[in-house]
Amino acid sequence: MLQDDKQLQAGNMAARRRLKRVASSQPGFLTLKSSLHPTDLAGNRRKRVNKNKKKNWNKYSDINDVEEFLEDVRHQERTTGGLLSEKTDDNLFYVDLGQPEKPEQKAEDAQPDDGKKRKGKSSRPLRIDLILQRDSLVPPPKDILAYQQPNAKKLRRIAQKAEQLAAKGVVPRRQKRLLNRRPVDRTAKKAEANNNPDREYYDIWEQQPKVTADPWYLQQTGKKLVKRPEKLNEKPSVLPAVEVIAPGGSYNPDFFSHQALLQEAHEVEVQKKKQEDKLERQLAVNREDKATEETNLREQVEGLVEEEENNEEAAPSMEDDEAALAAIAVTQKKTERQIKKERAEKIKEQQRLANRRQTEQQQQLFQLRSIKASIKKQDQKTKDKQMQRRAKQEAQKAQPRRLGKLKFQAPDLDVQLSDELAGSLRQLKPEGSILKDRFKSLQKRNLIEPRERAKFKRRLKVKYVEKRAFKEIT
Amino acid sequence: MGGLQKKKFERGSATNYITRNRARKKLMLSLPDFRRLCILKGIYPHEPKHKKKVNKGSTAPRTFYLLKDIRFLLHEPIVSKFREYKIFVRKLKRAYGKTEWSAVERLKENKPTYKLDHIVKERYPTFIDALRDIDDALCMCFLFSTFARTGKCHVQTIQLCRRLTVEWMNYVIASRALRKVFLSIKGIYYQAEVMGQLITWLVPYQFSHDHPTDVDYRVMATFTELYTTLLGFVNFRLYQSLNLVYPPKLDSKAELDLKEENEDDYAMSSESYYEKLSALSSSLARVVSTEEEEEAKLDQFPVEGEDMDKMEAREKEQKQLEVQKKIFEGLKFFINREVPRESLAFVIRCFGGQVSWDKSVCIGSTYDVTDETITHQVVDRPNVDKQYMNRYYIQPQWVYDCVNAKILLPVEDYFLGVTLPPHLSPFVEEKEGDYVPPEKLKIMALQRGEQPDGEEEEEEEEEEEDDDEEEEEEEDEEEEAEEKNLKKMEKQKSQGKSLEVKVTPGKLKVENPARLEQEEQAEEKRLAIMMMKKKEKYLYDKIMFGKKRKVREANKLAAKRKAHDDAEKAKKKKARK
Repeated sequence: MLQDDKQLQAGNMAARRRLKRVASSQPGFLTLKSSLHPTDLAGNRRKRVNKNKKKNWNKYSDINDVEEFLEDVRHQERTTGGLLSEKTDDNLFYVDLGQPEKPEQKAEDAQPDDGKKRKGKSSRPLRIDLILQRDSLVPPPKDILAYQQPNAKKLRRIAQKAEQLAAKGVVPRRQKRLLNRRPVDRTAKKAEANNNPDREYYDIWEQQPKVTADPWYLQQTGKKLVKRPEKLNEKPSVLPAVEVIAPGGSYNPDFFSHQALLQEAHEVEVQKKKQEDKLERQLAVNREDKATEETNLREQVEGLVEEEENNEEAAPSMEDDEAALAAIAVTQKKTERQIKKERAEKIKEQQRLANRRQTEQQQQLFQLRSIKASIKKQDQKTKDKQMQRRAKQEAQKAQPRRLGKLKFQAPDLDVQLSDELAGSLRQLKPEGSILKDRFKSLQKRNLIEPRERAKFKRRLKVKYVEKRAFKEIT
Repeated sequence: MGGLQKKKFERGSATNYITRNRARKKLMLSLPDFRRLCILKGIYPHEPKHKKKVNKGSTAPRTFYLLKDIRFLLHEPIVSKFREYKIFVRKLKRAYGKTEWSAVERLKENKPTYKLDHIVKERYPTFIDALRDIDDALCMCFLFSTFARTGKCHVQTIQLCRRLTVEWMNYVIASRALRKVFLSIKGIYYQAEVMGQLITWLVPYQFSHDHPTDVDYRVMATFTELYTTLLGFVNFRLYQSLNLVYPPKLDSKAELDLKEENEDDYAMSSESYYEKLSALSSSLARVVSTEEEEEAKLDQFPVEGEDMDKMEAREKEQKQLEVQKKIFEGLKFFINREVPRESLAFVIRCFGGQVSWDKSVCIGSTYDVTDETITHQVVDRPNVDKQYMNRYYIQPQWVYDCVNAKILLPVEDYFLGVTLPPHLSPFVEEKEGDYVPPEKLKIMALQRGEQPDGEEEEEEEEEEEDDDEEEEEEEDEEEEAEEKNLKKMEKQKSQGKSLEVKVTPGKLKVENPARLEQEEQAEEKRLAIMMMKKKEKYLYDKIMFGKKRKVREANKLAAKRKAHDDAEKAKKKKARK
């Protein structure tokens, strides 16, 4: 049994172990649990097993008794701070002097003022803290490492050596490396945003940044800036960036220039109206296409009334057949004589034509002047056409091109009517939006394609339901 | 006849073009990113000549790009930045979704950014190229700087635009480059001459915005992004050319003047300096502090003949320009609160005037209303309570009209409550024979140095116009007079009366050499016309007919105008009675 104890409680402190052994062997030892009796510890007869196997040690050695005993010892230590059997009587017992009269007083005190009570309540520790409080009377084990240092000797030696070196003025390698490290550039500016209002500018056209790196390397790694093709610097339109409004657009315009501008705006409107009208006219229902009673009736009667026209049409089809037969008859084989004759005629005809051509050519000698004139005329014609084409191309450079789905829509002319004109600068009401004007100008100069704002498309249908609460009211 | 069969759409124009979607896929970018890239790099869609060939037989309208352009885009380093940004957005969204705020913070700190410097350099290889294209940039920046900071675009962009435009205006003031101003119903058009380039830009009136819905703000913002970069670099270079400090600083003297105790009422101390700069009321600091540079004189080269005339004309122009630059020099303006302050301050300072305003209107006013040395007060209300004797109270249009006329116009037409003469567009250049409104004629006369009194000068103009006609008429009259004399004598003869022989003192015929010369020239011209070939003659007649028609139309308009004016006058008279 002693052996077992030793095995199991190997970790325990030696002194304590001794104490327990002594205590348990004593005949006057009291246990807290009544069921446990020291004589039981010797126990019943045990089954015999080989004890040379570790497996059997674990299996057949009953250690419950020891465990229970130890548990009991620990319990005593925890709750009373030592073994009960070793305590003096003073510690265990006290003289009962009857109830003190304190609780009554407390009850009387509590009623008159609530404030005090509450104060006491707030100062009382929380229940959770009480639960977590340490209630064992056994002092916590001392931390060995608090006063024992592992590798103390070695460390001491190292420290001594370092001191010596420091006295000599030798800096250890690690420190040297730290000192040599390049300081982190905390002042280095973070890449600032492009629209930072305090951003700095410099002379971009003056300095040519020197490229020191190997051009081949730059090219291969894609770091080399590709030269911009000259053609890209051409503007897609010849229109000026800012088109100044006509003189009639002055805030206090000359009468006639204002009228001219109004006229222009009017013409634009008229053109628009014309187109609208045209569309309407084309879409209008034709009078004659409308169903009248007569046509309705005819439709209903269609096919019911026998017509005699069909019979008449059948007759001419017979004639057609006869004509077809005749055509087949014509393509009969020619006789040899006929063939010869035809060939001779053909040759004769060719000769005649050749002769004629020759004489014509000879005659042309006398027509030289008129020929020259006609050639000249043709030349002139082509030149004119070229000119026209070129002029058209030039004119198109100033025109907005078709760059996408939508055509360029010229913005409305900004006009103020005579009664809208302000008398003074203070009363002037600006017309139109410059933002829109700029946007349209960009479109007009073919810098961006005209687009439409994307329409919001609902994927799923919306279902309207009246809420019940609402329904009750209505 | 061997060989492979030629397939359709595998050579020629079909291979030169690429549709937008294919280009987008090739660059692996989303459509907005692709559009942004194209705008930044200056690559625009192209309309093919033969749509059917390019579009594989279909005539559906599509957006095409040149394939070579897209290939060029493939090398752009910004493309990878766009992709990085896409990833950044994705990560940020994820972090937000998971409510990982530290991750959000970290991501935001390392937000990928890009610079457009190299693109500006690439698109505008020289400074002059950039200047030629600055119109658009100016318009856009002025427009964006007036936007409300309501989230239609980044507030930072608005601030940057404002800064750049203020810098630009300060430069124009310092270099006295402004030439023309036109107040239109849309906005104010300015034209300046910078390094020989005429630059026109449009500035919206203050607080005039409605935000149209059919404008793609994203596209506009992209353009602005490029243009702010461009304008910044241009500004830097321009400031350098004038020896001004960049970023602009107020002159030390001016800075002292502007010190006020209650500055804090207008702006935070960090902003007040900038606000003073944008008030445009004081001059800028120079790198080398010289008072005034000597005016460069036109170099004189020995020239002959025709060049001489040109030279003289140029010199004259130069002189006129010098005068124009200084028209407001020595004048002291005070701007009332109801007048657009920025525009007027800008224009007045551009021509050497001094300008100030009420303290409560804006920071940076240099003197008070009570200053006795003020010469002009710009007012735009029917009447003013307290008027000073020694200054003119004028309407704002006077300033603009003076600038356009290049002289100081008489003030009387612009007094308070007076109906203003029309504000004419300085951007219209009349050709010979065009209709010129009488107001312009008046101004032209003033420019020539004539002193008109009311209506007389108008007639003078008219007289000038038909000078030639009158000359001819005079000749006719003389002839007629002679004929009359002869007839008289004949009559007397036939009546049988003895002729009254009398010797009248002869008039000395003064031979006017100038006139003779003119006659000679006219004769020569007539002869030349007679000698013309039939074809040329036809052309000549056509041209002359066109000219005459123009003159006729102009005359008609003038007559109409006169009738209109007369009617107005009559109305006024009636009203008075």
